[in-house]
Order: sequence, then C-alpha cells, then structure tokens
Amino acid sequence: MQSSLFSTYGYARRLLIKIITKGESHASTEVTHKNPRAELYYDIVELFTGLTLVGFLWTHMIFVSTILLGTEVYDILAAGLDDYYLSYIGIPFIIIVAIMHVLSAGRRIPTRYQEQKVIWRHAKMLKGTDTWVWIFQVITGVSILALGAIHVFVVLAQWPIDAAISTERMTAFWWFYLVLLLLGEYHAGFGIYRQFVKWGWFPRRPLGFVCKVITTIILGLGFAASGYLMHWEVPYEQLSDYNH
Amino acid sequence: MSRQLTFSIFRYNPNDPSSAPRMQEYTLNESTGMTIFVALNQIREEQDPSLNFDFVCRAAICGSCAMVINGRPRLACKTLTKDFKDTITLMPLPVFKLVGDLAVDTGTWFRHMSLKTESWIHTNKKFDPIAQEDRMDNEVALNIYESERCIECGCCIAGCATANIREEFLGAAGINRVGRFMVDPRDERSDMEYFEVIGSDEGAFGCMGLMACDDNCPMGLPLQLQLAFVRRKITMAGLKS
Ligand code: HEM
Ligand code: SF4
Ligand code: SF4
Ligand code: FES
Repeated sequence: MQSSLFSTYGYARRLLIKIITKGESHASTEVTHKNPRAELYYDIVELFTGLTLVGFLWTHMIFVSTILLGTEVYDILAAGLDDYYLSYIGIPFIIIVAIMHVLSAGRRIPTRYQEQKVIWRHAKMLKGTDTWVWIFQVITGVSILALGAIHVFVVLAQWPIDAAISTERMTAFWWFYLVLLLLGEYHAGFGIYRQFVKWGWFPRRPLGFVCKVITTIILGLGFAASGYLMHWEVPYEQLSDYNH
Repeated sequence: MSRQLTFSIFRYNPNDPSSAPRMQEYTLNESTGMTIFVALNQIREEQDPSLNFDFVCRAAICGSCAMVINGRPRLACKTLTKDFKDTITLMPLPVFKLVGDLAVDTGTWFRHMSLKTESWIHTNKKFDPIAQEDRMDNEVALNIYESERCIECGCCIAGCATANIREEFLGAAGINRVGRFMVDPRDERSDMEYFEVIGSDEGAFGCMGLMACDDNCPMGLPLQLQLAFVRRKITMAGLKS
C-alpha cells in the first residue's frame, strides 16, 4: 500500500519536473537537457511554501483561539473574513501552496522500495539521530495531507463558519481535531526549525528551543480553543437544522 | 577491579566466497584510558589475528579508523571504552566500499569528491617561486583553516541518510570543501562555476538538513553553518546568472 501511494506521488512529481524544466526532461536526455537550475528552484519553492504554510497554520490557530475572547469575537472575525472575501482568496491560495509544498518537499521521499529499505536500516543502525525526525516528518506530512483535506472539505461543506457550527463539529469530531492538531503542529514546528537550520545564520540549539516554545504555545491555544468550543452551550436558536 | 567488556564485531570478507556476514563476540578486560582502537589491537594480537580494521595515526589525525560504534560513526582512536556500557557493538561505516570486517575504503570516495569539487585553487596567475607570497587577512585565513581541519574520516557521510540513498551525493565533507574554496580569495572561480559543481541535488540542494553530519564530525567542524552558508551562496549564484 505504501509503495503504491509513493508511486502515485512519483507520477505527480515527474509532472512537476516537466513543468519546471519546461518539458525538457525526458529519460534519455535527462543529463544533457535537464534545466540546470531545476533543483535550485525546487529548493526555493520548498523553502517559501514551507514558511507560508507554517505562517498560515500559526495564524489560523490564533484565529481559531479568538473563541477564548468570546463567541461574539469569533463570529465577527469569521464573518469579517467572509465579507471581505479574504476566505475566498486565502483558501484557494493555501491549497495551491500546499500542493506545491507537497511536490517540492516530497521530492526527497524515497520512492523506490530499495531506497526505503536503506532508510529503515539506516535509521535502525544509527540510532538516536535526526533521521527519525525526518521519517516522522514524512509520516506526519502524508497524514496531514489527508486529514487537512478532509477538514477543509468539512468546513467548506457547512460554510460559513460560526461558533455554533464549529462547536458542533468540535464536539462530534474532537478526536479527529486532536490528531490533526498534534500532527500538524509537529510537522510545522520541526519543518520551520529545519528550514532555518538549512538556510539560516543561527546555531541549532537556540533555534530548536525557540521553535519548541512557539509550538507549545500554539498547541496550548489549540487545546484551550477546542476545550472552549466543546464546553460552550450553543443557544437553542443557533443550533443548525440537522441537529434539531 | 576492571570491567569485562564484550565486543560484538561485524565480520565479513567480501573476497572470500565462503564468508557470510555475521556478528562475532570477543571479551576482554578493560584497562585504564582504553580506547576502541587499543581494544581492537588487543583482540587482534591475543585472540584473532584475522580481524580486519584500519588505523594509522591513532591520534585523530589521519581519519582512517572511523567505524560505527554503538550506532554512531566515530573514530576508534578517539573513543574511550569507559563511555559505554559493558557491550560495545562495532560495525563498518556504511556508504563506503567494504574491504573486510571493519575496514572500508574511504579513499576512493574522497578522491572522487575532490575531483568532482575540483579541490584546487583555480587561478590564471603565473606562479613565481621567488616572489613573496600574497598577504591574507587573518580572519580569512582562519576561515579557510576551519574547513581545512576535515580529516576525511567519512563519519559525516556514513551518518547522512541522503548519502546512504544517493550514491552521487557529495555530503557534508564535499559541501564543506566547496565552501573552503569559496572563501579563498586566491580562487578565481566565478559564482556560476561553483554553481555547476554543487548547485544540484548532488550537492547543496540534496541535503535535507538532518544534521547527522554536524552531530558526528569528530573534528567538530561547524558543518551546519557551513552547509547553510554554501546553500545561500549557491542559491544567489544560481538566481543571479
Ligand atoms: C484552508 C482553509 C481552512 C479553514 C477555513 C480552516 C478553518 C478552521 C476552523 C473554523 C476551525 C475550528 C473548528 C471547526 O470549525 O471545524 C479549525 C480547526 C483546526 N484546523 Fe483548520 N482550517 C483550514 C485549513 C487547515 C489546514 C490546512 C490544517 C492543517 C494542516 C488545519 C488544522 C486545523 C486544526 C489542527 C484545528 C483544530 C484546532 C484546535 O484544536 O483548536 N486547518 N480550522
Ligand atoms: S545535514 Fe545534509 S549533509 Fe548533513 S547529514 Fe543531513 S542531509 Fe547529510
Ligand atoms: S567533515 Fe568531519 S566527519 Fe566529515 S569527513 Fe571531515 S572530519 Fe570527518
Ligand atoms: S587512527 Fe588516525 S584518526 Fe584514528
């Protein structure tokens, strides 16, 4: 199952290579005709989509946690984003960025079974290294791709957002949100840490510390917000139809 | 009372068709200040003359004694047995060609890397043996020296997941090598020439930032910062030209 998932992925990736290299990349002429900057562009796309998504995820969680200031604030914010069409620009934008991120960052996922075996053997033999962090990064990445899609679909199906609808969703699917929250924040926290490590000027230890602190704060906000939503007694007249 | 240590050592002779890869155990008494290197020599002298492993300098200079010690690539001559529990597992470095047991051929790999990265000063200046050498800023000299401290032991390569999957990946040692020439004012290579050497997944962009190299370098080279430096330089080079 794993390998078929990866090979679907391999197909999408080859498509992106075609686009980036303007179709110049054909198996036999790969070496001579390949755009020499393809991998540079990949890496830049990976960097910027990664940063954008982490920025989105953190902003998103801050927005969700406005519920802590009261359901009115939450509703006003949600309605405001809706009125000014921010949701209609923002949501497709994030979806596109997410797809580009999956294709560029995912190019490192070992697609060949042989390579996957090497990675496992390597991670087991060289214990205690960041290789495990990377394996989890791949697993959480693939998972939030699926979970995030479901979540976006469910939210859009009951558009627009308000505190009452969110409460219903949260009460019904709290376990789903718990998993998504933990995986998403793990992925974002380590993701941004590794981008800074790869590109930045700062040593790893302080970087790791800062990323952990921010992730903890965001997780705290997430728990608090979902707790609030689940305990809020929705006034009768705000209950959605299907709940009557 | 000295401890009794158990060494579990990988044995395999690729040149002998009857040999199969296996782990073999040896026991011996720990002595004060014992390194893995000392222990291995004792085993070879007293118990098993057929055991294969490399060393030259026994002082962390030549880089030939690197092996995987309890799951981490380390120099046998620089690693003390007292830092471990009673059982110590020794494996050869992955990635490199196995010579036999714990001995691997890092030389071929590093030679290939040196050629690939063109590890020499590229200059059009004619060398004048009588003239005084050009002066160099102390800071620049120290910078160059920092990356020159690499002893080509291969620990950063063996620990790197990318190098384990991709044979062509030049690894931290290779990227560090390019960085060394980038800061050297005597090397007249243009940005684009460096880009050609390392601006791909074989070089700077292949690195996933897992930092096994940074964790494992026995010489403590600042590989994280060096890798990021080269990545930024190469990115700018690729975007500009
Ligand atoms: C793209 C448009 C998105 C919108 C409009 C949106 C909106 C919301 C809303 C309104 C909530 C509150 C609960 C609910 O009403 O269901 C929520 C919760 C959540 N969302 Fe999103 N979301 C989006 C994308 C994403 C993505 C891509 C991820 C992760 C990869 C994500 C992760 C989460 C998590 C983890 C929670 C739970 C927060 C908590 O526990 O407090 N969301 N989202
Ligand atoms: S940081 Fe890069 S070079 Fe170092 S171990 Fe990781 S992938 Fe390899
Ligand atoms: S960079 Fe460090 S770990 Fe890598 S070969 Fe040089 S000395 Fe060994
Ligand atoms: S024997 Fe030379 S580095 Fe260990």
